[in-house]
Amino acid sequence: MSAESMKPEEALAFLCDETRKIGADAFDALAGESESLGLELFEGKVKSTEISHSRGLGVRLFRGKRPGYAFTERFTADAILQTVRDAWSHTRLTDEVNITLPQAQTLPAIDLKSLDPALEKVSMEEMKVFCLELEAQVKPLDERIDNIPYLGAGRSSGRTWIRNSLGVDYSARGASISAGVGVTAAQGEQKKMGAFNRGGRHFGFDASEIARRAVERAVELLGAEPLPSGNYPIVFSNRVAPQLFGMFSSPFFADAVQKGQSRLAGKIGQRIAPAFFQLSSQPHLPEWPGSHLFDSEGVATRPLPIVENGVLLTYLYNLESAAKEGVAPTGTGSRGYSGKAGTGFANYVIPQGSSRLEDLLAAYPRCFYVVKLEGGSGCSSVSGEISIGAQGFLVEGGQKVRPVDRVTLSGNFFEFLQGIEAFSDSWSDSFSSVKVPDTLVKTMTVSG
Amino acid sequence: MEMDKQKAERILQAGRDRGADFVEVFEEETRNASVTFKDRKVESATAGTDYGIGLRLLFGGEVLYAHTSSDSEEHLIRLIDSLAVTRGGWAAGGATGLPSLHLSGTVLQNRHVITDDPRRIGQDRKLELLRAADAAGRAYSDKITQVNARAADMVTQVLIANSEGLWVNDTRTRCRFSVSVTAEDKGEIFVATESPGAMRGFEFFTALDVAALAKTAAERAVLMLKAGYVKGGKMPVIMGSGFGGVIFHEACGHLLETDAVRRKATPFAGKVGEAIAHSAVTAVDDGTIENSWGSINIDDEGLPVQKTVLIEKGILKAYMSDKVGERETGAPRTGSGRRESYQYAPVARMRNTYIAAGDSDLETMLATVEEGLYARKMGGGSVNPATGEFNFAVEEGWLIRHGKVTEPVRGATLIGKGPEILPRISMVGKDLEIAAGMCGASSGHVPVTVGQPTIKVDGILVGGR
Repeated sequence: MSAESMKPEEALAFLCDETRKIGADAFDALAGESESLGLELFEGKVKSTEISHSRGLGVRLFRGKRPGYAFTERFTADAILQTVRDAWSHTRLTDEVNITLPQAQTLPAIDLKSLDPALEKVSMEEMKVFCLELEAQVKPLDERIDNIPYLGAGRSSGRTWIRNSLGVDYSARGASISAGVGVTAAQGEQKKMGAFNRGGRHFGFDASEIARRAVERAVELLGAEPLPSGNYPIVFSNRVAPQLFGMFSSPFFADAVQKGQSRLAGKIGQRIAPAFFQLSSQPHLPEWPGSHLFDSEGVATRPLPIVENGVLLTYLYNLESAAKEGVAPTGTGSRGYSGKAGTGFANYVIPQGSSRLEDLLAAYPRCFYVVKLEGGSGCSSVSGEISIGAQGFLVEGGQKVRPVDRVTLSGNFFEFLQGIEAFSDSWSDSFSSVKVPDTLVKTMTVSG
Repeated sequence: MEMDKQKAERILQAGRDRGADFVEVFEEETRNASVTFKDRKVESATAGTDYGIGLRLLFGGEVLYAHTSSDSEEHLIRLIDSLAVTRGGWAAGGATGLPSLHLSGTVLQNRHVITDDPRRIGQDRKLELLRAADAAGRAYSDKITQVNARAADMVTQVLIANSEGLWVNDTRTRCRFSVSVTAEDKGEIFVATESPGAMRGFEFFTALDVAALAKTAAERAVLMLKAGYVKGGKMPVIMGSGFGGVIFHEACGHLLETDAVRRKATPFAGKVGEAIAHSAVTAVDDGTIENSWGSINIDDEGLPVQKTVLIEKGILKAYMSDKVGERETGAPRTGSGRRESYQYAPVARMRNTYIAAGDSDLETMLATVEEGLYARKMGGGSVNPATGEFNFAVEEGWLIRHGKVTEPVRGATLIGKGPEILPRISMVGKDLEIAAGMCGASSGHVPVTVGQPTIKVDGILVGGR
């Protein structure tokens, strides 16, 4: 097989030709290729090293209006022919969908700065030296640090291609690197973990900063005790607010609305949050991990306001959900080569507010400042139920009084949105596609 | 599969020549096929092939791993060179003078009998099942607004060869059916899901009562629409059989994997022979259960699967261990080396993990509870092994008052620490059941089952309002 294995672009072209030959009325095809290097250290030694090369190719074709999907990680002629035949045979099983594939268009001339060529030259040795320095920085910072179970660095780079039967032919490249550490601090029987990970498009991280922040996160929670059960004003740190909001992305997707899986159904034009609340999908922010010029169905992306002044303006559409309502797709189709098209935010952005974190913490005589959320299985994006473990601080008069753990938070996301009172002026500085500032919410139930 | 013995021998030899004391080739080809039904329509039908090779070099306890979708010998040997170079000190062309390697084939009887290979049965046979589930779910109540059903099968062929002379092939066939039913009333929406699976061929689907599954999910979704909230706090909790076993999986199972032990990131490190749980608790991780979703025939290092007693009457007996775990912690291998695919190096993982049947029953347990929660159906969970802090969700709960099950309450998160909770599992029922799930950890997502009889936990924090 090896002699006949094709390169991704060649394999994609072959797949498109064969899809036309079999008689498909329309199709789109995705290919991806990625490479990564990474290592993990433990107690001064490299414990694992990993190098990978991955690739895959997937097609969605239509016989009339009936779709068929198939994919392969083998890039031989035989495997690709089988993929086309599989997809074609699947059109006998599926029901009709109305999808109009996009025409080729000129993509916006924006440099997303997603590929720093220097990054692809960062060697395992450089990452190892960095990790050793990071490890050396940790222990002297606090004598209560008793272990560094997680410590590593890695970089990856990749390229994706999309083509369709109407002439769309786009590709994009990207590379990123990350390094991080998870440390445990011990005090008596209690252990707390603190982790900090730095990621980005360039290698130039500060080991001492990563070490300091991981250690701070571990030791600050030592001595934590539960809070008495009751209702408290809550401030979600900008470390965890993105995690909470991110779990409730899907109610904004038209697909979920159309299929009865969203409590935002029928709310377009209505106020779903306070007047200062803004939410948008931002695909064109340079260096951000969620940025892209075209979505995975070949639709050009654009910044998309979702909620303005607390009012829900639109849902996020892919080709299928847009066709169902007779509206234009919003460039928010999401798909890997092996799956069905879904929907997704590019970068999920709630803008920074005007208050300082200190102001949020001092807004009430007493509040619970949450810096860690545990799990998420008790949260449902459909019902909006929030039930989740939390750790943080009891704050009185704007001052941290003591650390808190072994409590849960309960509420409903859609009521939570209405109860937001302020956002701080800062996002977390993590390399993340979800940015939400520190968030003050009027009340949630704490069980402890 | 593309690898032959001679090629494998040359690749393994290349690894040995570069100083590795153990070299392994893991070739995998997986054929996936699924049909999804949603919104009264066949929404998608897809099939595909995952293919790749993983190369693992060990230098003592140090793991060097590479994977690729290419099977070119030249490319694979270049990857071995790239791995070796990362350790420094190795010059190309070095030879160790080791005797040449001869792989001896092992033919293993598959302990899990598969009768109907899903690759030979068309995807169209799934349609009637999906439609039947949709009809049964919708027929339950006029509050049912959506049914989403999926039938998926996966046939994985692996070849494992290593520098100890192992050459073994294995085929893993799994099928899973999942049905999610949505109920809506007065702006409230609830979804309930049933998703059984087995290490079986298409005969799994044929024998499945999909209408009954859809009805069970529909009942729960409608029930939760009118459920209230539990008042949160620490309380006794009786956990239902089957998926209730997620408590043991999170609170203890992950903490007994050698990957956590070798990182000194588990409170149970060094505790073999000590009491870590209530004497009512015996817990087992058993990969041998015939045709069970979490079972295997050989692990992903090629070792025949075992049944491993983890805790016997409260005493810690063993960890789940793989090759690296054995080298690093001394815990003997238990046939637990697992990985999602060729894209991951194997680590010790759970298979079918359950608390063994005891001698109690629900009535007796209820009689001991003045006020508490009966968690009849559980959702997923997670754990931080280094601190032992775990959480999991209750999907369907009922209030217990004065020893009686009263009204239903909505899902809630339960949290705690493993070492604190195990001694509080004070009563164990006779009704052992296991249920299918997926477990995510450092070697990816692997099929597992969790299980238990009905159990009573004397006190655990229940999130509520």
